[in-house]
Amino acid sequence: MATGVPSYKVILHGEYGVGKSSIFRRFMNNTFTTATGKKSTIGLDQSTRTYTIDSQDVKLTLWDTGGMERMSFIGSSYYRGAHAALLCYSVNNRDSFTILSQYILDIVMNAEGAKIFLCGNMSDQVDSMSENDLRNAVTDSDLEQFTSQCEDVLSGVYRVSCKDGTGLQDMFEDMARFLHRNSMSKMTLRRDLVQPGSTPEREEANSEKRRCC
Amino acid sequence: MDETYDVIVMGTGLKECILSGMLSVSGKKVLHVDRNPYYGGESASLTPIDQVFEHFKKSVPENKYGRGREWNVDLIPKFLMANGQLVKLLIHTGVTRYLEFKSVDGSYVYKGGKIYKVPADEKEALATSLMGLFEKRRFKNFLQHVQDYNVDDPKTYKGVEPNMVAKQVYEKYSLDANTQDFTGHALALFRNDEYMAKPCVDLIKRCRLYSDSLARYGKSPYLYPLYGLGELPQGFARLSAIYGGTYMLDKPVDEIVMEDGHVVGVKSQGETAKCGIVVCDPTYAPDRCKKVGQVVRAICILNHPIPNTKDGQSVQIIIPQNQVSRKDDIYVCMVSAAHNVCAKGYYLAIVATTVETSDPEAELQPGLELLGAIEEKFVSVVDLLEPIDDGTENKIFISMSYDATTHFETTCDDVLSLFKRITGEDFDFSKVQHTDTETVE
Repeated sequence: MATGVPSYKVILHGEYGVGKSSIFRRFMNNTFTTATGKKSTIGLDQSTRTYTIDSQDVKLTLWDTGGMERMSFIGSSYYRGAHAALLCYSVNNRDSFTILSQYILDIVMNAEGAKIFLCGNMSDQVDSMSENDLRNAVTDSDLEQFTSQCEDVLSGVYRVSCKDGTGLQDMFEDMARFLHRNSMSKMTLRRDLVQPGSTPEREEANSEKRRCC
Repeated sequence: MDETYDVIVMGTGLKECILSGMLSVSGKKVLHVDRNPYYGGESASLTPIDQVFEHFKKSVPENKYGRGREWNVDLIPKFLMANGQLVKLLIHTGVTRYLEFKSVDGSYVYKGGKIYKVPADEKEALATSLMGLFEKRRFKNFLQHVQDYNVDDPKTYKGVEPNMVAKQVYEKYSLDANTQDFTGHALALFRNDEYMAKPCVDLIKRCRLYSDSLARYGKSPYLYPLYGLGELPQGFARLSAIYGGTYMLDKPVDEIVMEDGHVVGVKSQGETAKCGIVVCDPTYAPDRCKKVGQVVRAICILNHPIPNTKDGQSVQIIIPQNQVSRKDDIYVCMVSAAHNVCAKGYYLAIVATTVETSDPEAELQPGLELLGAIEEKFVSVVDLLEPIDDGTENKIFISMSYDATTHFETTCDDVLSLFKRITGEDFDFSKVQHTDTETVE
């Protein structure tokens, strides 16, 4: 904000356990951990990367949920000012997919105007699934049906694997490109915001005299 | 829920959320519960507007106030001092990155039935009709001394020993009663005149906080978060969650389980979570609290800015107690669509004071009169509760109710004192480490 480089806030969203923190790790430092459960999310907060879009620097800041969705709700403040939501599900877990319409409602209610991107994670597991697993998997026709229903709402649809890294970096860059081109066509800049700690203070701030009568 | 935690925090008000965050950061295993399905307890901002009407048991008007979701109505009005303790906590914990703030447009003070802008710079100070020319000169000398004062350096005392009472300092500078009122209440933000008979260091410290805050972002010494104060507890809750804290909302608490005079757990819906320490707001342990007073607040919806404030989109007005023959000041805080708390064209003003009579609403009259026409008014009288003990014996640490002050300094004092009582040490800010990395492609 203060630096003048366009910056876009993207929030991760989706069921507990679909790999949001893994996507976050791939974004943050392109790593992967096999650890699961609550511990694997601790410490992840937000991370910023700079992309060059149409020969201009653009910042993408990805926010993780902090695992708050595990037993509770994510507060409304998580959504504030979000330019986009990356809605995640696991391709081998139908439940995490069928519930997405509820999440879309949350996003539309709490982050007005945010673009929604859909991301199916764990694509590496599709080939090695047993018949039983497949019954619980999200099929291509499921996805097609959903995306045709939500055509107006979705700005991008991706399939990735955090385990082998497939599709992730392309997805992040694609989101950055979409968001930047979209905002260039609208130009919304807010200049009077103050973020204590990062907004430069007034020049006189540290000089001893500030007012007298 | 059937698990063991180091600390169970009950209530997601601002104080509890700050503590939950600090305790998680300090490596404690924290469970944080709230009986409500939303964050913030009493420090939540109500949204959409229907909730405000329901909260005060009034019928909801149809199609009157624009889009309901544009409203975020605070129940407890406060502003942040730009150089105050809460801003320091926000910066040191990194929570500032989750929030956005704007400066408050102006601070006003009431004198002889009219309101005057508290000067924000030299030009305004020269132009103000708040005081006469000679008084201005005396006041300038006073402020200069305050600015140079250093308790650790007797050379800066210039005849004002730290234990000299405030009243004497005013007399030393020959400040008249109006200037004393202005200094003590609009700059030092004392709620009543008890400070006059106390050592002047506190007065000096508070004047410094005001001027240092004013110097930071301009216009006024106050900041206010976009979307209302309810964003603050959520920011600290996120901090706690990121450091491993577990959140459960919509969770009624049945009982604090005791053994041998100290807490061993919390019972909810038939399950017991074990813990060695409980932190909560007074509503979760009413039998361990005493009433120390009452605050009356009127939330008013206006369809115009407050008159005589140059159409300020956010203002504070302080009515010093002497001006209206009271013991405690009356405060007016107004915010608007500029801070994303209401629909465009509307303004939210909250008038509050400490209750002194049996007709609390009437006590707000001098403040209400300043607002002009009022579209809607919601009045509440709430008890101020305080714990009956400091919690160190039974390990139940209870916060105090939010007082009538218009800033968060007393809130932070309570939080820091609780943290020290809970852990036996001061909070170590160096334990906060972020994943906020920046990578350039």
